[in-house]
Amino acid sequence: MTVGEAAGGAVGRVPRHVACVMDGNGRWAARRSLPRTSGHRAAETTVIDVIEAARTAGVEWLSLYAFSTENWRRPSTEVDFLMRLVRRVVRKHAPLLHARGIRCRFLGVADPRIPPALARDFTDLMTLTGENRGMTLTVAFDHGGRSDIVAAARSLIRSGVPADAVDERSFAAHLPFPDTPDVDLVIRTSGEQRISNFMLWQVAYAEWMFPPVLWPDFRAPHFLQCLHTYQQRDRRFGGVPTDANGERPA
Amino acid sequence: MTETGSQFEEFFNDPRWAPAIIRATVLEAAHPQVGAALLDSSTFVTHPWRRLRNTVVSLQRMFGPDEEVRRREAARLNRLHARLKGTDAQHRPYDALDPAVRAWVVATLFESSVTMCRLSGQPLEQAVMERLYAEFRAYLAALDGDADQLPPTVHAFWPYYDRVVEEQLENTEAMRIILYRLFDHLPAPPLLHGLPTLWAAGRAVAGPLLGAITVASLPEPFRRRAGLPELPGTQTLMQGVYLGAGLARFLPEGWVRPEAVIDLLSLSPDSDDPRARTIGALRDRMKRAGALVRLLAPLPPEPDPGAAATVARRSAEEFFAQVLDQTGNGYLDWPDLAAMAREIAGRLDLDEPAETRLYDAFAAWWRELQAALDTDGDGRVSAAEYAAAVPSLAGPALIRVAEVLFDVTDANGDQRVDADEYRALFRTGFRRDVPGADGPYTRGAFVRDFLAFMSGRERSTPYDPLLAEA
Repeated sequence: MTVGEAAGGAVGRVPRHVACVMDGNGRWAARRSLPRTSGHRAAETTVIDVIEAARTAGVEWLSLYAFSTENWRRPSTEVDFLMRLVRRVVRKHAPLLHARGIRCRFLGVADPRIPPALARDFTDLMTLTGENRGMTLTVAFDHGGRSDIVAAARSLIRSGVPADAVDERSFAAHLPFPDTPDVDLVIRTSGEQRISNFMLWQVAYAEWMFPPVLWPDFRAPHFLQCLHTYQQRDRRFGGVPTDANGERPA
Repeated sequence: MTETGSQFEEFFNDPRWAPAIIRATVLEAAHPQVGAALLDSSTFVTHPWRRLRNTVVSLQRMFGPDEEVRRREAARLNRLHARLKGTDAQHRPYDALDPAVRAWVVATLFESSVTMCRLSGQPLEQAVMERLYAEFRAYLAALDGDADQLPPTVHAFWPYYDRVVEEQLENTEAMRIILYRLFDHLPAPPLLHGLPTLWAAGRAVAGPLLGAITVASLPEPFRRRAGLPELPGTQTLMQGVYLGAGLARFLPEGWVRPEAVIDLLSLSPDSDDPRARTIGALRDRMKRAGALVRLLAPLPPEPDPGAAATVARRSAEEFFAQVLDQTGNGYLDWPDLAAMAREIAGRLDLDEPAETRLYDAFAAWWRELQAALDTDGDGRVSAAEYAAAVPSLAGPALIRVAEVLFDVTDANGDQRVDADEYRALFRTGFRRDVPGADGPYTRGAFVRDFLAFMSGRERSTPYDPLLAEA
């Protein structure tokens, strides 16, 4: 069956917000006796494939976890390579992303170690696609879920709101990109089962999937399979007590 | 001096004025005394748009129908010029109040107006020319008390003009800067600040062209003596530009309004002027175009890895170049601070004694800066000296500047700056979300914000449009 059929069903809705933790580049390279950097390079194809698959399937929000605040601990040559690679990928695909009506955003990007040229490309891409009304692609780059929450708390305190007036909704308004809806589905490739400090606030009610395939081998069919499984789960939602993970916000 | 609808006002709305006023400025700058004054004190290279706007406003006041406005503007100009005196590089004294010098400035304006008509193939009739000349003499008389330095009739004017061109004008440094440096480095007007790439591309074409056109329109004896280049075809090009601009007179009335264009160019995109929102929408579209151009442009060679380490230092140097070094000569000295005082006094339309209080406060701050920062004792502060000693910038004299600035901004003296007073100081950058814009701004908060801007190098405060942006 196709995703289109599933999306047409009353219960099996396409998740509104899908997030991917792009894991397994290093292992992919190691299995082929290649340097880690070639794994990152191979990830580019997957990223473009997944963006296209998500857009076609009707996903409105797609978030990709590209680089965490902890990734700075990797060897500096690998970090440098990643920075150059990301810059090349951003510039290469900018016109295509814009033409597809995708609104691009970069979450994080606060560390001074990010090369200024790369930061300017991020800003340019956000400016270029800011008015697009297709899918919103959020790339978490130099992102940390906890530090986002801390930043929101700081902003909240600075705004002088009395403690009793703070609820979940008003707190969330201080997070970066507050219009981002809760994540419905997180896909972490390579079989690892960790959160790794990713969008901690937004994944509170998310469904999780851990396909064993490594990120450079992950393709549109894998992605659609995940959507399908999500829809199956959703169909049983509330029917099976062990699967109930709390009430989903409207 | 003039009834409504003077000859000058007719010219003022003429697009040929743009090349003509550049030409007049070059001829002014070629006068050794004017050139020296421009070189020492003027901010036109670093802040040409601000200066253009101030000049236009001043001319409008001087040629307007209101006698009282004219009297105040003349007094303001006289005070401003009284502060411009010194000696040039060859130790020749200059003084902006020298009647002969001022007569020359007025003469260049008159002659450029006549020439712009001649070059565009519509020479003025004798009667119109005489009326225009009388208006310019009256302008000089309003400044000096009399116009004796200018010959009484147009007939006698031309020998005077030719004599100055042939005997007094020089290939001054200020003239060369206007001709060759200003056009090549013309900063984007505030409205187009978000689009450096597009601005630079347009400027690379238009800059040399403007310079060549201006050179071609200068009097032949002067071009020869100053050794200015003769480029083939520029005469024709120059006359084509004047002719083309002259054709705009066939446009329906009200289509050509230079004040509107200049106002628009100096409009800060973030202000809450209703036009700014329209422009803002247009600007957003242009910004996206700029972003796309940058993203599509081929990657420059890999930057060297050491570059990141100098980021923090560059911001101090950026502040030095954008705010402190108003004259753009690479050093911070008194003319830079005088330019800030002049801009603020102009904005607030200050009279005496408030204007002198403001200048005195800035002068005291200059002495403090000089004592603290001028480590090599050359009498001025270089960018490196500044970067090495930024923390000591907020001394008592700077606090005094902030307090005096508060006093003069607080026009009604109620010890708070209300919305109108705030708007007078920051008018192009007026935004609602700035503290003090909604409610009254207290002395403490005002002083704190000023110090934060001047010492903390805080960006995106209302002071940026006032002192940093072109």
